Amino acid sequence: MHRIRKWGPAALLVAPSLLAIGVFVYGFLGWNLRVSLSDWRGLRANYDYAGLDNYRRLAEDSRFTDGVQNVVVFTLVFVAGTLVAGFLLALLLERGIRGEAFFRTVFLFPMAISFIATAIIWRWLLSNATGAQETGLNKLFDSVGLGFLANDWFKSDSNWAVASVAIAAGWALVGYIMALFLAGMRGVSDDLREAARVDGASEAKAFWFVVRPMLLPVVMSAIVILAHISLKTFDLIYAMDAKSRKIETPALYMWFTTFEGLNFSIGAAIATLLVVGIALVIVPYIWYSVRSERRS
Amino acid sequence: MKTAAEAPTRIRSRWSAYVTTTRYIVLFALVCLFLIPVYVLLVTAMKDPAQVSPSRMWQLPDSFSLDTFGAVWPVLEPGFRNSVLMAVPASIISSLLGAANGFVLAKWRFPGADIVFPLILFGMFIPYQAILIPMRELLTDWNLVGGLSGLILVHIIYGLPITTLIFRSYFVTISDELIDSAQVDGAGMIRTLAFVALPIALPAFAVSMIWQFTSAWNDFLFGLVLTSTNSWPVTVALNNIAGGQVVPFHEAMASALLASIPTLLVYVLMGRFFMRGLMAGALKG
Amino acid sequence: MSEKTSENQAAPATTLTAAISTREPVGIRLENVSKRFRGGVEAIKDVTLAVAPGEFVVLVGPSGCGKSTLLRVLAGLEEVSSGRIHIGDKDVTTQLPQQRDVAMVFQSYALYPRMSVRGNIGFGLRMRGIGKDERRRRVEEVAQVLGLEHLLDRRPAALSGGQRQRVAMGRAIVREPQVFLMDEPLSNLDAKLRVSMRAQLTLLHKRLGVTTVYVTHDQTEAMTLGQRVAVLRDGVLQQVDTPQQLFHHPVNLFVAAFIGSPSMNFVHATVSNGAASFAGVRIPVRPDSPLARGDRKVIVGVRPTSLSLASGNGQPELAVTPAIVEDLGDERFVIFDVDAPRVDTEATRAAVEAQAADDALLVPLDRATFTARLPAGTPVTVGEPITVALDPDRLHFFDPATGASLEEATSLTRGASSR
Repeated sequence: MHRIRKWGPAALLVAPSLLAIGVFVYGFLGWNLRVSLSDWRGLRANYDYAGLDNYRRLAEDSRFTDGVQNVVVFTLVFVAGTLVAGFLLALLLERGIRGEAFFRTVFLFPMAISFIATAIIWRWLLSNATGAQETGLNKLFDSVGLGFLANDWFKSDSNWAVASVAIAAGWALVGYIMALFLAGMRGVSDDLREAARVDGASEAKAFWFVVRPMLLPVVMSAIVILAHISLKTFDLIYAMDAKSRKIETPALYMWFTTFEGLNFSIGAAIATLLVVGIALVIVPYIWYSVRSERRS
Repeated sequence: MKTAAEAPTRIRSRWSAYVTTTRYIVLFALVCLFLIPVYVLLVTAMKDPAQVSPSRMWQLPDSFSLDTFGAVWPVLEPGFRNSVLMAVPASIISSLLGAANGFVLAKWRFPGADIVFPLILFGMFIPYQAILIPMRELLTDWNLVGGLSGLILVHIIYGLPITTLIFRSYFVTISDELIDSAQVDGAGMIRTLAFVALPIALPAFAVSMIWQFTSAWNDFLFGLVLTSTNSWPVTVALNNIAGGQVVPFHEAMASALLASIPTLLVYVLMGRFFMRGLMAGALKG
Repeated sequence: MSEKTSENQAAPATTLTAAISTREPVGIRLENVSKRFRGGVEAIKDVTLAVAPGEFVVLVGPSGCGKSTLLRVLAGLEEVSSGRIHIGDKDVTTQLPQQRDVAMVFQSYALYPRMSVRGNIGFGLRMRGIGKDERRRRVEEVAQVLGLEHLLDRRPAALSGGQRQRVAMGRAIVREPQVFLMDEPLSNLDAKLRVSMRAQLTLLHKRLGVTTVYVTHDQTEAMTLGQRVAVLRDGVLQQVDTPQQLFHHPVNLFVAAFIGSPSMNFVHATVSNGAASFAGVRIPVRPDSPLARGDRKVIVGVRPTSLSLASGNGQPELAVTPAIVEDLGDERFVIFDVDAPRVDTEATRAAVEAQAADDALLVPLDRATFTARLPAGTPVTVGEPITVALDPDRLHFFDPATGASLEEATSLTRGASSR
């Protein structure tokens, strides 16, 4: 009785949200999984059980495997680049710089802009047009005598074409990573550093021995966040060049095969693989965060 | 020469003065590099349309003109309006629900709350591709595809994990004794929430609203799947206007700028809360 | 500055208006109450306690002893795992806090930050559906009593610590509850204000006559405030008694070590032939004591006030060398070693909240250390041997194995039954 009266209203209050999340997240994930095991092609839903056929087909589908390769390249470049750049920015801002707020605002503002807008700007900056049509960074390089830097960017035939999309993505997210690092560095109490200084360490050594070890959780968070974003990224690549196979990732392939190719079961299979990939990164992360919060 | 009295309190070596100067130089260089896209955006959008050509991208305009904005606005305007009609209610409702959830999970931890919370959190990270097919099926059944209401609904629901997280993190920091006190004073759960918790959660509201508004405004995928031409949100409209290579690029730039103004305004005016939302999104800030 | 003075002479000193009616006080009964938390920690173990109508009972013990949990159980903020709770004639065991007629003052005061002082004090009335006009009247009366009238429209953030404390008190008083529960309400005040608030609390209780349960970790506060004091350790009630009884007749080592400042001195001793001996002193035990017959090992407890400079009046004497002399102005604490094994039991450690490792670190000791509380003028110099006398009638004897007092069995509830 006591329990019902105490927890009842609380349970009622969260019930709608829990129900919504239960259906729209877990119910849908299950539903999607079911579609991925079906033979659903075309507009009419078809839940005939097809086992792992769709997954087998994907393994042999070069468009999919190329996409996987692209997303791996994209993730590596994007995560590593953004992490390093974000860390360096934070390091530059870390010890009371005048005008810090200004710098922070500048580096963080792309977070407020949609990936679509970001893609539109960068598509022009990374244009590979030549001759009279030459524009963007290539044009800039040419006019300052750095023409050898000019290249085909995301239009390139190389497997690294997708890496130039990572430049745009990094531009959008580097401020976020910087902010995470800054918060982490500021979280180290001044007492600790001052103790190290009094013990004879230089500022640099105090940073290296006292602050750096405490940034490990930030690095973990940053990697997890960036990696899961890069697996999901859709709009940035779509708006950069929806047609190019060179920069297509499974997240895009899923969309095309489902909503343009009407091959629902294959689309669902790709989506399921995406979920698995992201869960591998995210579940340990959530588990770790919740557990360490409970400990403190 | 500086006298001792004028010297800064913190003792600095000559070396560290060089370091600081170098820092500023590097920072300013990075700022310039970082703002290149903004330069291009502004310069192009404000050129006289007659002067625009991709090959003159880096040149400053000879004359200042807002004609391009005038040209693209009528095309962008319906999407802009749709996005306002969608993002405002979505962020308000999602934040209110998030406040209730966050309060319960932080201060009224029913048995099992420890399991429920990570399950909610996971919803924040799922790739939305994995729910697109069922979502479209169900919302088609419910007759919610093609208009704005379906889009609002999914933004509310998929916003719940982050709004819940924001409010939970906030309520965790307020004293348990405050909640206990309200109970001893005779308030039940609902009244404790309404009279004691919500009035002090205004900062969390700001954080949550801003986050939700920004992500709903900037969303593309849901808009693409759930809306039809006359209910396109601004991102979908923008992509359709500026997407093709045939579009004059000054119009693409001007549209991108216009479509970003609301979120940029929010960012500039309420940057502090924006930051906090970002930190909350990282679970451990 | 004027703020400060008004704080110190706060107003329970003014006459209470008749409007703050004194309701017929009710008693509280806890029967075999236990509380086990999820995760298995047992915070309260089988506590049975009766509080008489209108009584002021203090729950005291080291941190983590369960005293706050017991109070929260009384308030209904925690559900009991087993046992019953009665307030007056009503069994409130399963009632929610809002259903119980209790008011509580919290350590942090828990003032609602977005409400004015008026809103804070009136909140409980508002939640209980009391009309605006009556609410206003009662809030203003209480504010007057507590000297808060001029602060009614301020926010808590704009108040000093003492003022906040009074608002918290006002919030409890205005409800005219059957029971006041107070959780370390003075611990956030500075030392001087704490002493004056202590006196005011006693006055307030006298005037209102409301049954009060008060939690503190500070044994001085417990002794000065409580009509009876309940000592808790690890969730187990050790002794419930008047301050006098607790001080003079502690039932076990823990209570003996916990109550009194400076703490009681302990030393291992042996009893044989009707006398206890340690460090070369023989102290005859009373012939009617059970210790008078047979031989055994005991722990002897000596209050610092039971020691004096030897005057040759026949009391047992001890030759010692002062190691530290602390001058407090009107008295001197003289600390010296005694040539006998040091008493280091869990009970004595728990009483001073020391971990096994904490204590011995700075100065490793294996001999017992005594503190004597002597008058200010006593001629004592560090390093110069003196002779101290022990008052044989005021010694305490404990069983080294169980820690129980070896005086005649002292009933846990003696205080209650003798009232």
